[in-house]
Amino acid sequence: MKPARAGLWLGLSVGLLLGLLVLGLRVGSFAIDFELMRRVLHHYDPTEPAQLVLVELRLPRLLLAVLAGAGLAVSGYLMQTMVSNALADPYLLGTASGGGLGAVLCFALLPTLTWAGVYLPPVAALLGALGTTLVVLALGMDRGQLRPAPLLLSGVAVGSLATALGGLLTFLSDTPDKLRTVTFWAMGSFERAGWNLLPYPAVALVATLVVFAFLQKDVAILLLGEERAAALGVPVVRLRWLLVVTASALTGCVVALCGPIGFVGLMIPHVTRWLLGATGRWNLLVCALLGGGFLLGCDLLARLLYPPAGVPVGIVTALFGVPFFVYLLRKQGS
Amino acid sequence: MHPLHLWSIFARMRFSVSLLLSVVLGGGLLACQSDQPASSQPAAAAQLPATTHWVTDDLGHRLQLPVQPRRIMALAPSMTEMLYAVADTATIVARTQVCDFPRAVAHKPVVNSYPLDLEKLVALHPDVVFTVEGITSQDDAARLQQLGVPVYFQRYTTVEDVFRGMQQLGQLLGRTAQARHLTDSLRTALAALQKTPPTPGPAPRVLAITWQDPIYVYGQNTLFTDKIRLAGGQNALQEVFAQPYPALTREYILRLNPDVLLGGRFGQLDSTFFKAYPELRRINAYQTKRVFAVTGNLMERPGPRVVESVRELQGLLRQPAQP
Repeated sequence: MKPARAGLWLGLSVGLLLGLLVLGLRVGSFAIDFELMRRVLHHYDPTEPAQLVLVELRLPRLLLAVLAGAGLAVSGYLMQTMVSNALADPYLLGTASGGGLGAVLCFALLPTLTWAGVYLPPVAALLGALGTTLVVLALGMDRGQLRPAPLLLSGVAVGSLATALGGLLTFLSDTPDKLRTVTFWAMGSFERAGWNLLPYPAVALVATLVVFAFLQKDVAILLLGEERAAALGVPVVRLRWLLVVTASALTGCVVALCGPIGFVGLMIPHVTRWLLGATGRWNLLVCALLGGGFLLGCDLLARLLYPPAGVPVGIVTALFGVPFFVYLLRKQGS
Repeated sequence: MHPLHLWSIFARMRFSVSLLLSVVLGGGLLACQSDQPASSQPAAAAQLPATTHWVTDDLGHRLQLPVQPRRIMALAPSMTEMLYAVADTATIVARTQVCDFPRAVAHKPVVNSYPLDLEKLVALHPDVVFTVEGITSQDDAARLQQLGVPVYFQRYTTVEDVFRGMQQLGQLLGRTAQARHLTDSLRTALAALQKTPPTPGPAPRVLAITWQDPIYVYGQNTLFTDKIRLAGGQNALQEVFAQPYPALTREYILRLNPDVLLGGRFGQLDSTFFKAYPELRRINAYQTKRVFAVTGNLMERPGPRVVESVRELQGLLRQPAQP
C-alpha cells in the first residue's frame, strides 16, 4: 500500500465522519441550525432548551454511536486476526449473548434497576459479557494456548447456553413490558447516551488503538496464518491472548452501553482491507474511523426513517450486513 | 340448588357492590343484575344452543354465534370486567392469568393468554371468546377460529366506544336491559363529573408513560386521549404515530414540555426515571411537582370502571402546582 493512498483514505474517512457528525447534529425533534451551533460554541446557555438538547443529548448520542462503531470495527478486526479467519466477528466468544444474559438477569431478578444512582443494566451486561468470555476462554484453552478451533466451538456452545438462559428468564418474566425492554436492548440503541457514559468506550478504544499501533506488524503477519507468523518470529501465543482480552473488553463495553449491534465488526474490517490491503500501517485507525462513520450513518438513517425514536440501529446494520455477509461467503466459496 | 349456582349469586353480589361504589359515588345508579333462570346452570349450559346468527365484530370479522351463548370467556382483563358487569356470571367459564377484578373472578379456571393455552381454552369449549384489539394476536384468533371457537374483537378509542361495547355485549348475550342500565348509570356518573367546575387556565398537557426504558407513552390514538379530555386535560402528545404506545426520545419529551406526567409518584420517579434521564427535570411537570401515579388496572382497562378512571385523572389534574 502506497502511503499516499493510505493518506487519502484516512483523510476521506475523517471527512466522512465529520460530515455525518454535522448532519447528525441537525436531525431531531428540535430544529437546530448552524447559527445555533455557532452560538453554542461561543457561549453555551443551558437554559435554552435547543442548546441543552444539542449539547446534553444530541452530541453525546452521536459520539456514542461513533465510539461504538469504532469499537466494534476494531474488535472485529482483532478477532479476525486472532483466528486468522475473515468471517470472525467481535461476538465470537459469546460476548453478545453473555451481555444479553446479564441484562436479562438484571431486568428479571433485581427489584430495582437503579442502585446508588447507577443504572444497573449496563453494569450487568458488562459483567455478563466478560463472564461469558472468561468461561469460553477457560473451555477453549489448550495447555495455556488459545487455539482458534476449540475457542470458536466453546464460543458457540457457551453463547447458545447464555441465549437459552436469557430466553428462559424472559419467558418466565412476570410482565411483557420486561420482554419489551430486553427486546429493545437486544436490537441496539444509543438513546441512553450521556456524557457520563462516553469515557468507558473512549478509554477502551484509545488504549486498544495505542497498544496495537505498536504491534501492527505482528497483527498483519498473524492474519496470514499461525505457522507463517511463528516462523517469522511473532510471539503467537502471547499476541493471541492480548488480542482476545483487548477485543473482549472493548466489545463488552460497547454491548453494555448500546446492546449487541451486529455486522459492524464483520463488515468494516473487510472494507478496510479491501481499501488498504491486509497489511496496511493505518488499517486499524481507518477501520475505527469507518466503523464510527458507518454506525453514525446507520443511526442517522434509523432516526430519519422512523422519527422520533428511530428504528433500532441493529436492524439497520443488519439490513446492510446480511447482504454483505452473503457476498463474503460466496466470494470465499469461489 | 347446585353449589355453582349459589356461588354465582354470591359472586354477582360482590361485583355489584364494588361497581355500585364506583358509580354511585359519581351520582350514578347501577342497576342490580337479575339472576338467570335455572337453565343457566352448567348442566343446561353444556347443551348446544338451538340457533345461531351472523354478527360482525369491531374489526370487521364475520362470526357465527349462538343467539344465546351459554359458555363465554374473555382474553382481556378489561373484557372480563365487562362480562362480570353485563353477563350472567355463571356462563363465564374461565379467566386469564391477569384477570383480577372483580375479586370473584379468582374462582374461575385460568387459561393462560400469553402464550395462549389453546388446549385448555378449547377443552372448555366456549361458545364465544371476547377480546380487545391489541391484546389477542390475530394469529391466535385465527387458530381459535379454525378450532371452532369464534373470537369477537372490540376496539375503543373513546369512552363512548367502551359504553357502546358494553351495550353490544348485552345484545350478543341476551342481556340488553342489564347493559342498558349499566351504561345509563355510567353516562350519568360521567355527566356529573363533567359538571364540576374546571380549574382556571388552559387545559393541562398530560404525558402518561407506560415504560421507562425505552420511554413508551400513551399515544394520541389511545383511549387515554379521550379520558384525559373528559378529565379536563389534554394528551401532551398531539402527533399521531402508527403505534398506540410510541417510544419517545428525551429530546422529544423536552420539546413537548408536559404540565403533568403520569406514571409514578414524584419521589419514586425522581429516584428512577429522572435519575436515569436528568435532562427531563426541566419539564414543567417536574418543576411544579405535578408527577403522579395512577392505578394501573384502572388506567389500562377500558371496562366498566372507565368512569372511575376518569374521576381519578380529574382528581390528579386538580392538584395544585408546587414550587
